[in-house]
Amino acid sequence: MFYRLSGIHHTRYESARALWPVTADRRIVQGLLLLAVAAPFLLSDLYLTSYMLPWLIWTAAALSLTLLMGVAGQLHFGFAAVMAIGAYTSIHLTRAGVPFELALLGAGLMAALIGCLFGAAALRVKGLYLVMATLAMQYLVEWTIINVPAISGGAQATLSTPDVTFLFIPLQSDGALYYTALLWTVVVTLLIMNIKRSSFGRALVAVRDKDFAASVIGVNPLKYKLLAFFASSFLGGVTGAVLAFCYYQAVTPEQFGFNVSIQLVAMVLVGGLGSVIGAYLGAGFVLLLPIVLTNLLAFVAQFDLIPISFNLLSHIPLMVYGALIIGVILFEPLGLAKIYDNIRKYFLVWPFRHTQS
Amino acid sequence: MKTLLKGLAGVAGAMALAVGGTASADKEPIKFALLQDFTAVYTFVSSEYNQGQQDYLRLINETGGVEGHPIETIIRDTANEPQRGLEAYNRARREGAVLVDFFSTPVSRAAVNRVLRDEVVMITALHGRGDASHGETFPFVFPMMATYWSQATLLADYIDRHQGGLANKRIALVHIDSPFGREPLPVLQELAQQKGFQLRSFGYPSPGTEQSATWSDVRRYRPDHVIIWGAGGGQQVSVREAIRNGIRPQNILSVVWLSETDARNVGGNHMNGVKRFEAVASGREPAVIQDILTHVVEPGLGAGPAANVGSSYYNIGVATMAVAVEAARLAIREFGAPLTGDTLRRGFEMIEGFDARGLMPPVTLTATDHQGGGYGRVSQWNGQTWEPLTDWSNAFQEIVWHEIEKDAQGFRDGR
Repeated sequence: MFYRLSGIHHTRYESARALWPVTADRRIVQGLLLLAVAAPFLLSDLYLTSYMLPWLIWTAAALSLTLLMGVAGQLHFGFAAVMAIGAYTSIHLTRAGVPFELALLGAGLMAALIGCLFGAAALRVKGLYLVMATLAMQYLVEWTIINVPAISGGAQATLSTPDVTFLFIPLQSDGALYYTALLWTVVVTLLIMNIKRSSFGRALVAVRDKDFAASVIGVNPLKYKLLAFFASSFLGGVTGAVLAFCYYQAVTPEQFGFNVSIQLVAMVLVGGLGSVIGAYLGAGFVLLLPIVLTNLLAFVAQFDLIPISFNLLSHIPLMVYGALIIGVILFEPLGLAKIYDNIRKYFLVWPFRHTQS
Repeated sequence: MKTLLKGLAGVAGAMALAVGGTASADKEPIKFALLQDFTAVYTFVSSEYNQGQQDYLRLINETGGVEGHPIETIIRDTANEPQRGLEAYNRARREGAVLVDFFSTPVSRAAVNRVLRDEVVMITALHGRGDASHGETFPFVFPMMATYWSQATLLADYIDRHQGGLANKRIALVHIDSPFGREPLPVLQELAQQKGFQLRSFGYPSPGTEQSATWSDVRRYRPDHVIIWGAGGGQQVSVREAIRNGIRPQNILSVVWLSETDARNVGGNHMNGVKRFEAVASGREPAVIQDILTHVVEPGLGAGPAANVGSSYYNIGVATMAVAVEAARLAIREFGAPLTGDTLRRGFEMIEGFDARGLMPPVTLTATDHQGGGYGRVSQWNGQTWEPLTDWSNAFQEIVWHEIEKDAQGFRDGR
């Protein structure tokens, strides 16, 4: 009914392979994009800079990770380190006078290079053992940044991002920062969607499902595992640079700690492994929900209805947040993306009951 | 029904409070944002610290406010995450906060550029960037107590004066392997050259719950004195490991983060003789703490357990707010209401010889010096309390300021 399928006849391969073959889907995406573009005019600066902007950037990060973890099936518990490499590379490059656009590329390449180095472990180990190898990456990269003052920026270990321009627009105003992040997130989104429907994506899926079976049908697992690490780390590195320049504007090693890696994995898992919309939903859930809960509770607490200690008050959001994560996983183990998918399928045939896949 | 009645009673009570509040303080409130980490890393410290801050502000409100203006607090948990800290900061700024205190190094480092742009005062007592003492580079950031560099030089000075001199000694700096842990290194290296002692640093991995490998290295080095540099759970591990490796407690000196709780966790009288840097007096003797006890804690208005009152971190919290309130008072007297970030900053820079009635060393802040002289003292655990061994003093400030100038220059160049 809402996602009307009648009248949609695919007579050409191009239309059948379109990103959004159903008109309703396409309209929803167009509407959301329009809202995203209009956001600086619709939202106050608080919501633009503290909610939309970090949400978009973390979505790009979750998308980069979901390419590796969801599509290619290689677990990565050190993705914050990949982003850190990108952030530090871009800052040092721009400080050396390289234009920001090229510095972004450099950030991606450096992250991809080092990411591949550790990703090479994936050629030999799988599953939990790969988790250990990527954890080692997290700690080695952190250690190197902290212990080499030339990278971290001396005793204060804080590097401010220099003033730069992106495509001739100075990255100063909230709007410019927001549009840069939006552009990058849209690019990553389209890229991942296209990878998923291309031969590269199908090769990754084959490697994910059974690597020796993949090699039997002619997919070289060595090549595709490394390519997955390369592509994902490249995107992660650029996202790290975008995070540094558009959001933090000052970089310290703590911003890319182990807990951030875990948060990224949580975004991918809660959102739904390998799903694009899941990355958006997961990033929103992990990043924004604790903030919203804290503010909600602070709002309720100001009426002083129940006398509870401040210490307990600040821990209640954590309890609710934990319960929500367990709830989502119990209710739908495939993540928020699957919940969305269920709703969509329900409306696909509404008012009738039986859904088609 | 009963709960409903209770709820109604609560609403009525809240309304009465609100009406009462407006009657007692007719002038517009001053808003301080205390956006700290109550749930992640610094919880054990920040809950006591924040309790001290809240109790002191309550005392000010109970006794007439700042020139008649009550102080309102905006308190939020940031979980030590920069993105949550920045959200809370942006929100607080919209609500009209003129002062923020994150009490978290990662969050305040991420916020430096923003407070400088938005002209909001950020206090970074015992955390954040040490080079923020450079007032001309960081006009809105106030470390306002001894930076880590000043703490290191004061501890070295104590060894020099009271523990048989520094010359030809072996000093071990055992630190958590993080930017914070490495911060004292440059000033100590400079001092080692000047005073002719050997210095070696030993890092242990974060979070510091496991340090045994590091300490066997320290034992092999046979240091005359050990300076431990960590925070939180790692500190008691350091003390325990040091003693286990044959270092006499008398020769252990610590950064400011060593408290009554750590002594209790080390247990017994093992820690007797361990020394630490102290930026604020601990205990209930200072007049301000006595006032808090009579006006806030005894009427039941305290923000937390009464047992915390007078503990080291509680008193540090009281001291930060005492300085901030004094700054607000000076600013309102000089520039009149309403208080803005800029006038509050100038209020801070007018503070001269303020010691919160004996709670802390006299602090003088100027437009150039936002550290306030780097004063502190050395105190020793005697099994019950931290007993001061020296008077308030500072040491080797020229070395400290050399570092401050150097890093502030780096910050200016980076922009």
